[in-house]
Amino acid sequence: MKQTVRVTVNGRLYEEEVEPRQLLSYFLRETIGLTGTHIGCIIGECGACTVQVNGTLVKSCLMFAVQANGKEVTTIEGLAEGDALHPVQEAFINNYGFQCGYCTPGMIMAADSLLKKNPNPSEEEIREGLAGNLCMCTGYVQIVAAVKEAAGQVDNG
Amino acid sequence: MAKADPNQYVGLAARSKEGPRLVTGKGRYTDDFTEPGMLQAVFLRSPHAHARILGVDAQAALSRPDVFAVVTPEDIKRDTKPFRPGRYAAGLKKPIAEYAGAVDKVRYVGEPVGAVAARDRSTAEDVLESIAVDYEILPANTDVHKAMAGEDASLIYDELGANLAWQGTLEYGDTEKAFREADRVVREDLKIHRYSSTPLEPLACIASYDRFSRKLTVRTNTQVPENIYDALRDALRIDDIRVIIPDIGGGFGQKIHLIRKYVVIVALLAIKSGRPVKWIEDRNEHMMAAGHACEQHFDVEAAVKNDGTVDGLRFKEIDDVGGSISTLTIHFTNKLNNLSNTYKVQNIRADGYSVVTNRCPVIPNRGIGKPGMCYIWERIIDRVAQDLDMDPSEVRFKNLVQPEQMPYTTPNGNIYDSGDYPGLLKRALEKVDYPALKEEQAREREKGRYLGVGVVIGVEPGGRNAARDMAIFPEMKETPGSGGINGATIKLEKNGTIALYLGSPNCGQAHETTTAQVAAGILGVSPDVISTTTPFDSDVAPWGVAAANSGNNFHLYDIGSIIGAATQLREKVLKVAGHILDAEPADLEIADGVVTVPGFPRRKLTFAELGKAAYNNQSLLPEGIDAGLQTTFYYTFPHAQPNMVPGQDRRVRAQFTFGAGAHVAIVEVDPRTGKVEVLRYLIVGDNGTIINPGVVDGQIYGSAAHGIAVALGEGFVYDDEGQLLTITLTDYGKCSTAETPNVEVEHAPSPSKFTPLGQKAAGEGAAIPSPAAIASAVENALEPFGVKIRHLPLTPERVWQLIQEAQA
Repeated sequence: MKQTVRVTVNGRLYEEEVEPRQLLSYFLRETIGLTGTHIGCIIGECGACTVQVNGTLVKSCLMFAVQANGKEVTTIEGLAEGDALHPVQEAFINNYGFQCGYCTPGMIMAADSLLKKNPNPSEEEIREGLAGNLCMCTGYVQIVAAVKEAAGQVDNG
Repeated sequence: MAKADPNQYVGLAARSKEGPRLVTGKGRYTDDFTEPGMLQAVFLRSPHAHARILGVDAQAALSRPDVFAVVTPEDIKRDTKPFRPGRYAAGLKKPIAEYAGAVDKVRYVGEPVGAVAARDRSTAEDVLESIAVDYEILPANTDVHKAMAGEDASLIYDELGANLAWQGTLEYGDTEKAFREADRVVREDLKIHRYSSTPLEPLACIASYDRFSRKLTVRTNTQVPENIYDALRDALRIDDIRVIIPDIGGGFGQKIHLIRKYVVIVALLAIKSGRPVKWIEDRNEHMMAAGHACEQHFDVEAAVKNDGTVDGLRFKEIDDVGGSISTLTIHFTNKLNNLSNTYKVQNIRADGYSVVTNRCPVIPNRGIGKPGMCYIWERIIDRVAQDLDMDPSEVRFKNLVQPEQMPYTTPNGNIYDSGDYPGLLKRALEKVDYPALKEEQAREREKGRYLGVGVVIGVEPGGRNAARDMAIFPEMKETPGSGGINGATIKLEKNGTIALYLGSPNCGQAHETTTAQVAAGILGVSPDVISTTTPFDSDVAPWGVAAANSGNNFHLYDIGSIIGAATQLREKVLKVAGHILDAEPADLEIADGVVTVPGFPRRKLTFAELGKAAYNNQSLLPEGIDAGLQTTFYYTFPHAQPNMVPGQDRRVRAQFTFGAGAHVAIVEVDPRTGKVEVLRYLIVGDNGTIINPGVVDGQIYGSAAHGIAVALGEGFVYDDEGQLLTITLTDYGKCSTAETPNVEVEHAPSPSKFTPLGQKAAGEGAAIPSPAAIASAVENALEPFGVKIRHLPLTPERVWQLIQEAQA
């Protein structure tokens, strides 16, 4: 039996009929068409589907769409403002902090969340803050460098 | 810059072309596409490692209204043909028909037995449970040594009569003489386990078929279009095939081989249902059945003189190739690429044995057999040093090919284009201050802290020669091709922008950024006005046998074809502009997308004006020239001879360019827990002329991180029944930022003598020497305990056991 959910995603309200078993990750990708949130494992190990729900970092494969009812979700598509990239996105480009790009949206959401909580993290704190997101390509060196560059530039207000 | 200068933007960390779409979630991967009426497919897979399929009843599934097509073993047998044996199965004594799915038996857990296409994925998954398969379970074979001893628990292929499916020998020089005249023989048994780079995006495919025009279109994340193209033709007997490859979420070799099975079956579902069908693999399926790097056992012997010179190397290699014959020799054959590593040795013999087992088939993974070959060399060199009581680096210096010997021909016919191996090693030792490090190690040992230093060196071959495997199979009837061919297209558009179209796909190596840098210098424009069109589309891409995100091919074939196409376009631009400006083409200059006549500032044409003339205004075009400003160039490596096709002596250029890297690993081992911490990891690398340092560094960091993780515990574990115990990324041991050490890179390039920019490869690179570097460092740390490192991986449990065994 489908249920109605009202979820605000990147500032826009969506009212949709969903199966109770639909994961938030599939809701974002298939129901409302935001394919920047990727799926790499659906059991919360890889972090490719990481989004922010009411400002908290969430692996969207570990949450049902119905659990997001009434909540505000930010995905990778909601970070840039107009034509201006978000400072974390800009820093990832400057530092080649991606290769295939599949982990990148989740990694950037995690980095943004970390920098909101801790505007100037040490390398160890960056590594700890991103430890829920796997990247198979980069060896993380340039990702860590990107987060260092973005530090202090993220609005944590 | 007035002259065509391919180097103008070379060496610059130009802004990434892929970056803006990838950091904003606008990358387009296979799963991001939908088609009208598209169905979703799921696969029925074997729960058993080894069983006979007695019958499959899919009636209940077929009768469901939301199910559009089902494929069973019977359908596979009736509606498809087996794959052709291919280059890695050429040594089979009897031909074995391998279909896309299991037909009579299952040979590994997760092997595809059937598939369902339904309106949505959940329905398809529910329906799978209604398909009844009657299996006769057979004993599983998981131990290569039992197979070698003729103690097969059961036969995996009845046709072969044994599970030892292939054996063969390669010999170069006179190893018998080298061993007869040796002062001593140093022996060791070594092992590398099963692992994978586990790309974050799983295998994916969307197939659609137009039954009236008989055209099959597949959108898939394969790294090599040819494998899919040939597989569909062979299995489905369809000639008109279009392969579209959008953004790929990581490849590393995992998306080259077994993916063809799934694409064929998904295409069959599309043919049967008359609808487009999408299939997205899940993580557990990937771990079980998408392919593993081979478990390789080595018995190694070195013929050594008392001064440390290694005169001969012999090794016996036993490969656990899993439940398929189609990649039987892939890990052995790849030893030809770096058979003598960085060393002068002239006498090498390799005896290969491929054993089929009831485990996942092996596939190419970052370097394929090359990490194993480097492991053989670097472990045995360390052992020689211990035997002679020499410093391991001293033994290496003694045996390295010298820079003045370049270009250097190895005993098996590879030609090393350039390189300063002693220089790399020397610089690496300087960077870590090796003598001070050894003193620190001695001091810390006194305090009960166990530091270890591993110093290794390895070549990184690049640019594949398609004829390589004929060295092992000179009798091969259907040749796999030779050398390498791939193309590129460049077009100057009416608005003055430049569009590139590459002949091969990209799975994270920044092909768009790098090719734009090279083309920009030749054409006299900024890289900013160049864009690369994606996705790869076999209907329009100029692709050949080297169109592969594989074999470290990009630097050679793609860069070569971009240079060729851009150079031809420049010539054409000058001809058309010369005609319009009434000047000799040779007198013209191009800068910032404007063609000028030097000395006549008003006689000029912008690229936009030229574009409008070339496409719209026939009267402005010179006679005898094709209209339009578009060129396509197919590149072949001009220095592919000698040894492109192996003769009776079996000498062959396995690859065409050779980078190298010296690696230093500094580790600390906690003897109470066996845990290894990497304190520092340094690479001094020769990747030839570097086109984009940000991109090349990324390839080195990533490949080093993977090799280190492989050595320290990442890997697949099976039980004796052939059940895979590591079906999640956590069980498998994938490393996050928390466990991955920082890797330092210093470049010491020796530009290639054979390539237009001096460029060499950088993709597989650091994955080749890094397992050996870690093994060497851990052994060095545990020297006081007398521990010898032979087998990977070095999990804490295993290291702890080694310490206990050594003390017992």
